Amino acid sequence: MKVDELRDKAELLESLPDEQLGLLASVVDETSYPASEILFREDQPADEFFIVEKGLVSLELVTPGIEPMVILSLGPSELVGISWMVPPYKWKWTARTIRDSQLLVFDAVRVREQCEKDPELKLWVLQMVAEQAVRRLHSTRVQLLDLYESK
Amino acid sequence: MSRSEVSTTTGMVRTPEASPMLPRPFRVIEVRPEAADTVTLSLVAARSDGEFSFRPGQFTMLYVLGVGEVPMSISGDPGQGRLLQHTVRRVGAVTSALCDIQSGGEIGVRGPYGRGWPTGRAEEKDVLIIAGGIGLAPLRPAVLEILGNRDRFGSLSVLYGVRTPEDLLFEEDLHSWRSRFDIEVEVTVDRSTLGWRGDVGVVTTLLPRVSFDPSNTIALVCGPEIMMKVVARELSDLGVSPEGIFLSIERNMKCAIGFCGHCQFGADFICRDGPVMSYASVAARLGVAEL
Repeated sequence: MKVDELRDKAELLESLPDEQLGLLASVVDETSYPASEILFREDQPADEFFIVEKGLVSLELVTPGIEPMVILSLGPSELVGISWMVPPYKWKWTARTIRDSQLLVFDAVRVREQCEKDPELKLWVLQMVAEQAVRRLHSTRVQLLDLYESK
Repeated sequence: MSRSEVSTTTGMVRTPEASPMLPRPFRVIEVRPEAADTVTLSLVAARSDGEFSFRPGQFTMLYVLGVGEVPMSISGDPGQGRLLQHTVRRVGAVTSALCDIQSGGEIGVRGPYGRGWPTGRAEEKDVLIIAGGIGLAPLRPAVLEILGNRDRFGSLSVLYGVRTPEDLLFEEDLHSWRSRFDIEVEVTVDRSTLGWRGDVGVVTTLLPRVSFDPSNTIALVCGPEIMMKVVARELSDLGVSPEGIFLSIERNMKCAIGFCGHCQFGADFICRDGPVMSYASVAARLGVAEL
């Protein structure tokens, strides 16, 4: 994918310098998924990550005998998958498309390799993942408060 | 007591019906179930054909004979003249009696009271309506008023968060609003249940999904106080001015006319100075546990 094309498609990456964005552009594919498609399953190797262009993706925990428990949904411009950036590089949740979705699919193994060669890319990627993780941590804390039942 | 008397201070003729402490009889003409513990009551004045005018965000005191009186936000359309609507959730003796009332029954109504949503100030601006749980009820009149005068406002977005899909209120309205091209409607639940194909997460996660210019936005927020505090802080972080964020504060209102002090919130009486107040005016108080 061309650098400008990736910048247009992924708002999340728009502040990344051309050189580093070029590295990501070389390891990304744009893919459409129908609704209810599993993107990754818990405990599998985290060797890809995704940015949502269109559609909606759920993060869920699957337990035998009951409906999957959805903890979070992710929409346009949001990052799907953060476990790919930290050892042991395994998914902790299952990701599934809720609606027909168009996603940018990154080769996480190659991004990790590129990060080891390019400290600026590594810093930027870590910051992107950290921002998403912190935002989700705050949201999850609020979710735990059971807001709508509180006085 | 005579049917009317002349005030010595204003010279105005006061009738018992005009007394702010005297409920007027209203008849229930429809009871619509919204959720397992919530109904919407449609009321009309029982003894006259007079209009019932109110501002979005105002409340009334609803009196169930022999049970008691509770403050209740108005959830109906301010453009609908005679019709008064309240959406009631079963939480105590009076609200349970209201939820159990049948069509044709009568209740007492005082009001409307309080300061409502500043929809006039929102003209020419982008409007964010953010509701949590039953908080959509006091915001529904504002949405209906804005939709009725759509060309006076910028973008209009409704973000609604509830506990589970079964707790959604005004589903018919939500579907109807979603079918329009001049309003964005996003709904999320804290916990999904079988068949839910929408968002899961707190209501603030919906903010990136809608378009608005933070520097030219008025946000109207209603829900439990913790939710409003979290939302207001997030809006502030996004660049919406605290003076442009309005919250509907709930306290234990009794007289509803600023006499008794039951609803005191710092230096304000919520019944008189609220319930709608700007985040700028209440932000510091929202961090004081004793209030």
